[in-house]
Amino acid sequence: MSDINFEKLKAIVGEAGVLSDPADLYVYGSDSSVHEGTPHAIVRPQNTGQVQQLLRYADEERIPVIPRGSGSGMCGQAVPVRGGIILDMKAMNRILEINPQDGYCRVEPGVVDDDLNRALKPHGVFYPPTPASSVVATIGGEIANNASGTRSVKYGAARDAILAMKVVLAGGELVSLGATTRVAASGYPLERLMVGSEGTLGVIVEATLRFVPIPKLRCLGIAMFNVLGEAGDAISEIMGSGCQPSMLELVDKVAITAANKAENLGLPEVEAILLFEADGLAKETIDPEIEKFRTICERHNGFGLEFSYDEKERTRIFAARSKLFPSLSKYDERLASTSLADDMAVPFSKMAETANKIHEIAERNGLVMTAYGHCGAGCMHTKILMDTEKGTQWEAAQRAVKEIYEYVLSVGGTTSAEHGIGLSKAGAFKREKAAVLDLMRGIKKVFDPNNIMNPGKLMDGPDDWVGETHLRYQKS
Amino acid sequence: MSDMSKLEKWKGALNKCIRCGYCYEHCPIYKSTRWEIDSPRGKLILLYGLLSGEIEPSEYVAGKLMECFHCGRCQKACSSGVPIQDVYQDARELLIEAGFEVPGTTSQTDADVCALCLNCVRMCKHEARSFVDGRIVTDLLKCQSCGSCLDVCPKQGVTIGRGFGTNPDELEREVAAFFADGRNPEAKAIVFSCGWSNYPGMQTANYEPDAATAEYKVLVTVCSGRIRSETILSTLDAGAWGVLVVSCPEEDCEHGGSPRVKARVEALLKPLAAIGVDPGRVQVAEVAQGNPKKFLEVTQAFMKDVRALGPLLARSEA
Repeated sequence: MSDINFEKLKAIVGEAGVLSDPADLYVYGSDSSVHEGTPHAIVRPQNTGQVQQLLRYADEERIPVIPRGSGSGMCGQAVPVRGGIILDMKAMNRILEINPQDGYCRVEPGVVDDDLNRALKPHGVFYPPTPASSVVATIGGEIANNASGTRSVKYGAARDAILAMKVVLAGGELVSLGATTRVAASGYPLERLMVGSEGTLGVIVEATLRFVPIPKLRCLGIAMFNVLGEAGDAISEIMGSGCQPSMLELVDKVAITAANKAENLGLPEVEAILLFEADGLAKETIDPEIEKFRTICERHNGFGLEFSYDEKERTRIFAARSKLFPSLSKYDERLASTSLADDMAVPFSKMAETANKIHEIAERNGLVMTAYGHCGAGCMHTKILMDTEKGTQWEAAQRAVKEIYEYVLSVGGTTSAEHGIGLSKAGAFKREKAAVLDLMRGIKKVFDPNNIMNPGKLMDGPDDWVGETHLRYQKS
Repeated sequence: MSDMSKLEKWKGALNKCIRCGYCYEHCPIYKSTRWEIDSPRGKLILLYGLLSGEIEPSEYVAGKLMECFHCGRCQKACSSGVPIQDVYQDARELLIEAGFEVPGTTSQTDADVCALCLNCVRMCKHEARSFVDGRIVTDLLKCQSCGSCLDVCPKQGVTIGRGFGTNPDELEREVAAFFADGRNPEAKAIVFSCGWSNYPGMQTANYEPDAATAEYKVLVTVCSGRIRSETILSTLDAGAWGVLVVSCPEEDCEHGGSPRVKARVEALLKPLAAIGVDPGRVQVAEVAQGNPKKFLEVTQAFMKDVRALGPLLARSEA
């Protein structure tokens, strides 16, 4: 790549829109993953025209461009492994249109998820993918990573909410993809191709999203299990019964212990907890769903069942899940919570077995790992709690990650459910998609012939995420 | 040159930060600029860089660390329990030792303007200001950037360099923009909200009205004591039907601003009444930290009063 022409960048976005102090470059080299890199410049465009000019310049000079929202990705998607320009999209944060009549809204990519839902609320609707990080995650980042969350079991992921989008391609060309209508039958669905592309195909500058009515009622239930496998059997039966939960979450014993330890919740330290939510317009439609959940859980020796429509009660019941994320960091003074093997999807029937496997692998490698997730969507999360200063812990983590993904692939699972690939999971992703990597590289070549868009990610990411990337931690 | 390895004791805490960014929405400085380095997470990353030697200490780095309103919301929101304020404070000390005495958001006195009345020294609750060698000096580590010293200075000789949207002139610009012709047809009032009191609750609650139908706008001030009479009057003059100042309960106010703004509003009501302005148009309410329900209640009650009173000025006069 050529040297960055800062005067050129300033001419495009203005002096205030360009950062180049080493401190800024260092800070923008990280996201929420274990990796770090160093960009050459941070540039904040205000509008689509500026994005086009920036990409035209970068393409001519073969400078990598890494689009970035809030940098809350857990796998290194926004880490500039080959330097270049970080495109900070947060200034393009306008909600352009809310159209209740036709059932869509148009937003710029820097809009924060919670802010969009705040604006939609008076219209009685919500944008449903909503990951746990919705307070910080931008819509652009959510689309690029195909984010989803606890309610995706019923309402789908980002991919399901996309109707259309405008994208600036590597050479600066602006293209409109998809259609604002609910159906669009023909041709390649290129707007969907952008979802989960992690910034490797172009820069999303506008998205047209569908939304759904906010349900009038929500009922949350909880069930305890002394045997993880029995909770797993319950999950399979619930999902196979025609039940339509708006949430079905699994929390394992390690997570329960962590939540009790850090937040003093006083939860019974059972092997597993299932949380089940059903929503809708009337109790007449929700109660039968709850009844199915109760019957199935009891059949599999679930106990301590509780249900509530009351918001305060639901908050109390949900504490086992909502307090989990902060609890893991507070689990042990010496251990940091790292996003490694953080995300995967397996068939419903393998949820419990996967959780058991994660525990077994963790124990064998001398690590602490938990297993939790949106089991109604087949999504499993974990975190590795480790002493990040010890090189041996990284070796153990690397072994554990490899073993976990080998297992996940062996049972028909997939590398990422909702957190994406980035750098940390590239090795596993490449093994899973080995037969179609050339096809993906071919598509990338059409969109981005000079490989300037977020290079070194997904199918071009590292096989060895420890040895081939720079880790944010100093280790001995 | 100070040795940044003294940050070593915080290495574990810096490792604990999972860089989730949940602190973003709680930081008034980050919310003002949206640059990563202005966020609590960004500053923790910066400190990791100083500790590891990947970043050299500099005026720019010191300036970023010194830009903080000390509200502590980031620490409360931290999912990893990092003692952010303590980590920052040690880093600031090291940077000052290293010769980077950068004011950041601390208040500074212009010696050429200062009347040496010592009002600011006497009223500073943080013992951050002192009279040394014939001039007023700010202790960069003690100053909490509350702005109380600006408020009591008779000569306007104290300033906070960057207000990140909270300085009176910045607030007044926001007010003018809110009431600018046609932009918000339903605009009726401004709520000035103390950054230390209800603001944390407000951040996690969906109480901001939809922009298209916004009747009022909430503007955050660092301390309610910084809301000047001039700001209240200029807000009414801009077209507001009323002004609400939300402050901490007096017993909770760490900066002495709450009683000051109450006294100021009380003093203002008499001359306003003399020219026919109903006292209900300018109100002060106390809301304790993290009580969004109370915030909503007082705001709604105020808006009910304001709607009943109707417009203060005809639009053409505003």
